[in-house]
Amino acid sequence: MRYEIRVDGQMSETLAKVFPELDHVLMAGQTVLFGRVIDEAHLFGLLSRFRALGLRVVEMRQLPE
Amino acid sequence: MTDVTDVTDMTDVTEETDEEPAPTGVDPEGDPLLRTRFALPKRPATFLRRPRLARHLDEALRTPLTLVDGSAGAGKTLLVADWATGLREPVAWLTSDTADQAPGVFWAYLLGALRAARVPVAAEVGCPAEASRVDQRTLIRLAADLERRDHTTVVVLDEFDRVTCTEIARQLQFVLHHAGRGLHLVLVTRTEPLLPLHRYRASGEITEIRDAELAFTTDEAGELLSRHGLHLPASAVEALVERTRGWAAGLRLCALAARRGPDPGTYVKQFEAGHSAVADFLLAEVLDRQPPGTQDLLLRISVLERFCPDLVNALTLRTDAETVLAALHRENAFVHYLGQSWYSLHPLFAEILRAHLRERSPGLEPELRRRAARWLRRSGALREALVQGAAADDWEFTARAVVDDLAIGRLFTGLRSEDLSALFSRMTPEVTGPVPDLVRAARDLGRRDLEHGLTHLRRASQEVAEAAGDGPEPAPVRLSCALLEALAARLTGSPGRAERAAEQARGLWRHVPEQRLDEHPELTALLLTHLGSARLWAGRFEDARTALSAVAGHPGGAVMALPRWEALGHLALIDYLNGWPGRAEHKALAAAGEAERHSLPRRSGSGLGPLVLAAVHVDRDELDEAQALLDDEAVSRPAVEDPVARAGRTVVRGRLLLARGDARAALAAADEPVPADVGSPWAREQSALLASAAHLAQGHPDLARQAVDRMAPHRTACAVEAARVRLAAGRAEEALALIDGLPDGDRPGPAVAVRATLVRAQAAYETGDRGTAHRLVARALLDGRREHLRRPFLEAGPWIRPLLSTGRLRELAGGWLLPGRPVTTAPAGHPGFAVEELSARERDVLHRLADMLSTEEIAADLHVSANTVKTHLKSIYRKLGVSRRAEAVRRAREARLL
Repeated sequence: MRYEIRVDGQMSETLAKVFPELDHVLMAGQTVLFGRVIDEAHLFGLLSRFRALGLRVVEMRQLPE
Repeated sequence: MTDVTDVTDMTDVTEETDEEPAPTGVDPEGDPLLRTRFALPKRPATFLRRPRLARHLDEALRTPLTLVDGSAGAGKTLLVADWATGLREPVAWLTSDTADQAPGVFWAYLLGALRAARVPVAAEVGCPAEASRVDQRTLIRLAADLERRDHTTVVVLDEFDRVTCTEIARQLQFVLHHAGRGLHLVLVTRTEPLLPLHRYRASGEITEIRDAELAFTTDEAGELLSRHGLHLPASAVEALVERTRGWAAGLRLCALAARRGPDPGTYVKQFEAGHSAVADFLLAEVLDRQPPGTQDLLLRISVLERFCPDLVNALTLRTDAETVLAALHRENAFVHYLGQSWYSLHPLFAEILRAHLRERSPGLEPELRRRAARWLRRSGALREALVQGAAADDWEFTARAVVDDLAIGRLFTGLRSEDLSALFSRMTPEVTGPVPDLVRAARDLGRRDLEHGLTHLRRASQEVAEAAGDGPEPAPVRLSCALLEALAARLTGSPGRAERAAEQARGLWRHVPEQRLDEHPELTALLLTHLGSARLWAGRFEDARTALSAVAGHPGGAVMALPRWEALGHLALIDYLNGWPGRAEHKALAAAGEAERHSLPRRSGSGLGPLVLAAVHVDRDELDEAQALLDDEAVSRPAVEDPVARAGRTVVRGRLLLARGDARAALAAADEPVPADVGSPWAREQSALLASAAHLAQGHPDLARQAVDRMAPHRTACAVEAARVRLAAGRAEEALALIDGLPDGDRPGPAVAVRATLVRAQAAYETGDRGTAHRLVARALLDGRREHLRRPFLEAGPWIRPLLSTGRLRELAGGWLLPGRPVTTAPAGHPGFAVEELSARERDVLHRLADMLSTEEIAADLHVSANTVKTHLKSIYRKLGVSRRAEAVRRAREARLL
């Protein structure tokens, strides 16, 4: 499964390294992380890591293969 | 916020200085760091008490559950800690840990938190000693204990988002429900807990404080910022609140960053206009503005969950940790203070700081963890030391630490045994040497993976032996090796090997520090249990009893629960095999009590206790009860077990099949091989006796004779069976000669004695001596009555029935063997049936039960909920050993409780 997750605010390069499994691009006031997500457990793990880092998820969607 | 001055006045006293009472006996595992998890974090000088939230929390006491659910850094923990400090009610605090996912661990720590808060629960509640399991009865009694109190106990579970186990959520819900007003639960979390919140909401039983309410208002933010030395015009504060959405951590970090810059006002303006992720950006800014020494310290401690100045100094290789940590706490930046010099990193920052550490000093993390591991080990925090050692992939250190501390037994017993074993799952095959091999062998044998376990043990033993050339391995290594040898001997049925291991261990005791042995009583206990089991297999019952009694009588907490329970099960089996069903039952029940108190077992199977109880039930012809025990036991049986358990099960199953009339299946059971290095005299004897009895039941005395004549004729049980075979073939004289020829030395218990007497009686009957037959049957009845040994009479044959139907014999058999009133002079009720003390509340319920009140009526009468009454009822049923109301009343009258 490929996912795209948008979080509020532009992440620093340092913080982006907490998600080595995802690529990211900075947009206007947002960061878009994207890449392969192994399964649901991985997805929920990612969500809780965003939560733990004080990042606000504003959008999350599965990408077509 | 309408009145800011009011807040200021109240917060003058927030700096906490009072000493934390050192909790005693809170620790199931001797873990000195544990108490930091029971500590309410201290509020720093800059903490801002917000009365609207404190008021809401006060009001929340009316509902059983409070949920404080907000993002990381929203100020939840300090809010609840501040509120809880001012409560009149006792407060138990537990900071969750990711390692608490197993129900047994969670509840053991929750009970520890209650003890630390000086509101311990009654001893009857027990405490889990295995990670994966908590006994339902422990939860029932905990709820009842809380409910009985005349005050509410407040339990705060902080960082509850770390608990993701649905079973724990269900259990919490159960206890919360049944504790009624006795428990007020506060969950502090950043994710929705797994409790059925919609139901609590529908019934108005929950108070929720969520992000929207936790967010700072402009007034509050202004006050908070000025506490951090940043004084801004109202419009700037408003803009900042908007940018951070009133997020406490964002506001604090912004103040810290701005204050250290040349022009705070401009800084805040720039930040407001920026587009960065708030925490990420501000943390980097604040970090950058710390003095280099503080920056370095913060990055290094990111590998720790909790720390004290000395530990931090070990990581920084400096000496200034105390000052730096105190300053960080004062500013409410990054760290919480837990009291007694211990701190924890604010959960929001730990991971971000770790990301910075990896970037700035790649490769430093393992080195830091190694240093932390060594410091922790020196300080006696073995578990934390092992966690850090494993995280650093420092396997030589980690394995050594377990073995040198004599903690290898902890891989088998205790709350954390599975965790400890799992720690080593990442140890790669490249790690070699006797100590890592010992740990591998222990893990495999603990999982009953005999093939790998024995291979690793062989290699470790060789390495230990070869090391003698250039200085022998230290005593703890050899002692650990002896323990595993004893276990291997037990599992393979090899008594000689077990004796050699025990001999070796005896030579090593005095070469290890006495204090270490005292800290690890489980090492000796496990070794003696294995030795006892191997001796039992060898049929050396008295020697086995010596080893096992030492373990069964040994006090001690969670780590001793498993060996004690195993030893009791083995002792019960010895009594059964010696023909003492009453004593066997007593010990098996003691083992069951031990299992219940400590929520045993799972990994270790259900043990010998249920097998022995089933065997006793068969002797008493209570076949359904026996069947139920065997069915239950089959569910939790481990794939590989020692030959004692295998042989024990085969015998009981065969006896039950035979009692049910399935002689063919009983014969098959008797034929089942029990793999072992060395044969066992009693296992062979029991199989032969079973086979003989099955052949007799099928009407084949000749085959029966073949089976039993191979056995030792001087053993009473064998002689009795051989005599039965002769009787079946119509040779009464021969039968009598066999029994009379028995030596005096072998004096078995009533289960064998009654059978012997009945054989004599039958022989007398068939030779026409009715008087003697009568007298002997009377003696057998007297001997069998106390133990309710029905089976021997049912197996005796048709000749006995007419005797039992008249006169004195009928009277003696009445009430237990035959319907009718017992002629007993002993007090009524089951002998040896000890009624557990009922609580005052349970007596109240019992009296009303006897008055035929319904559950609802009792509830109304006692001013409690119906559910509470049901909990009491369950407890009463359990204590009286009944399952229905009428039975409970009857049993209570018998025991003169009414």
